[in-house]
Amino acid sequence: MISDAPVLQQSSEPAETAAAPSRLSRYARPMLGLLLPLILALGWELVVWLGWSNGRLVPPPSRVFATIADLARSGELVRHIVATLWRVGLGFAFGVIAGTLLGAISGYWSLARRLLDPTVQALRAIPSLAWVPLFILWLGIFETSKIVLIAVGVFFPVYLGVMGAILIVDRKIVEVGRTFRLSGFAMIRRILLPAVLPAYVVSLRVGLGLGWMFVVAAELIGASEGLGYLLLDGQQLGKPAQILAAIVIFAILGKLTDWLIEVAAAPFLRWQDAFGRVRGA
Amino acid sequence: MLALDRVSKTYPNGVHALARFSAEIRQGEIVAIIGGSGCGKSTLLRAIAGLDRASSGTVTLDSEAIASPHAKIGIIFQEPRLLPWLSVADNIGFGLADLPATERREKVARALARVGLADMAQAWPRELSGGQAQRVAIARALVPQPEVLLLDEPFSALDAFTRRDLQDHLLDLWADTRPTLILVTHDVDEAVVLADRVLVMRPRPGRLFDQIEINLGRPRDRNSPLFENFKRNVLTSLDRSLDRSVPDRDATQGPGQAMWW
Repeated sequence: MISDAPVLQQSSEPAETAAAPSRLSRYARPMLGLLLPLILALGWELVVWLGWSNGRLVPPPSRVFATIADLARSGELVRHIVATLWRVGLGFAFGVIAGTLLGAISGYWSLARRLLDPTVQALRAIPSLAWVPLFILWLGIFETSKIVLIAVGVFFPVYLGVMGAILIVDRKIVEVGRTFRLSGFAMIRRILLPAVLPAYVVSLRVGLGLGWMFVVAAELIGASEGLGYLLLDGQQLGKPAQILAAIVIFAILGKLTDWLIEVAAAPFLRWQDAFGRVRGA
Repeated sequence: MLALDRVSKTYPNGVHALARFSAEIRQGEIVAIIGGSGCGKSTLLRAIAGLDRASSGTVTLDSEAIASPHAKIGIIFQEPRLLPWLSVADNIGFGLADLPATERREKVARALARVGLADMAQAWPRELSGGQAQRVAIARALVPQPEVLLLDEPFSALDAFTRRDLQDHLLDLWADTRPTLILVTHDVDEAVVLADRVLVMRPRPGRLFDQIEINLGRPRDRNSPLFENFKRNVLTSLDRSLDRSVPDRDATQGPGQAMWW
């Protein structure tokens, strides 16, 4: 009786019923993406529960989540997450700043491109992990070398994304800038960067993905805290649940930060007249 | 006064686009440049705009040589070329970045009202029709109050009704500050409706062939016999510029097609 009242009240409002189907589809669509992982997780849980597998090397979701809960309760989890996020955040920031600046410069000035780009492309061809021994020698085994490694990983996709996108900006739009006597940084700021913004967001997301990749590499090499340390610790002490817990948290954080970029960029991309815009996210 | 003195342009690939083009255009005059394709009309306009440099010869505005885009010279292209990431209002104010914000907003608001798009101030360019977008482009070029406004086939992508509407509208806006208008077109009707003087160019290499003064008061009646007469003069001159017919000004030809390529 009591629970019925608000429902009735709600359905009597015409606006509410009109908005209902679109709202349903708005929430239902992301849910669709959760279907497959949920089925797989429940399936494995069932397999272990039925005793078809002991789940020692591949612990069922319940045990993984129990591990996460334990870590969270002891405060360990927050410490590790904060350490990793801090490294990724700093490395990402440095990588993005350098990649954007150099990418814009070599996209805009052909002389700079001829001078700079071959070197950058040659450096890009080096697998970034090859730098690790050198960074450790130069910068020590603590935070600096880790952050630099992450920044290097982030730098290349951002640099390449900005430069490549500037090179294919419509000449006609650039001419509009020229007729208003823009050149140099004014041209970059008022015409080129806005024009490449959609491509820039994509390269930021690629860069962030690499940032997460390199933070694991950096933390596996030597760290006393961080999610990568949890991975290594789990391997050395034979705790697969802890490894999986760290992996799950990596997945969640990676997806979350990627989504943050998408959401933060959305207001700046409302002007787009593009295929993806109509289709909706 | 805008003076063109033996302006020539040879492109790096060897194409001789423009040969020794000379003309003097009074402040406030409306000049239409017309000619067959490849006669260097757009090359000439781009040289005046300072977007391309002439290979030889000079463009001077009030005895100041023009070699790069100049604050006193505005241009409107065939496409609106609005910046898709700026609202209509910000597009119009694009050339006013140096002004204080309040003054800029005032000028933009006035321009928006003047081109009849006050209610579209916050719209995105993608939401505009072709005619509306070209109006915004006109407002953007006029709002810094250039002394010379160049128009490169500005209405050729529009339908006939919108084109007429915008031609009238352009004259209306021109009357506010009376800048010099230099209009490249391939539409004889448009040239005769708008211009004080029609310059006919001849291709390969592009050069001046003929000048026709249009001594008609404004507003002009597109259906008057006098108007038809001027149109016929321009068409005849165009035909002669291509050696397509016997050069005979007095020969009575058919009314000819309004659109001429």
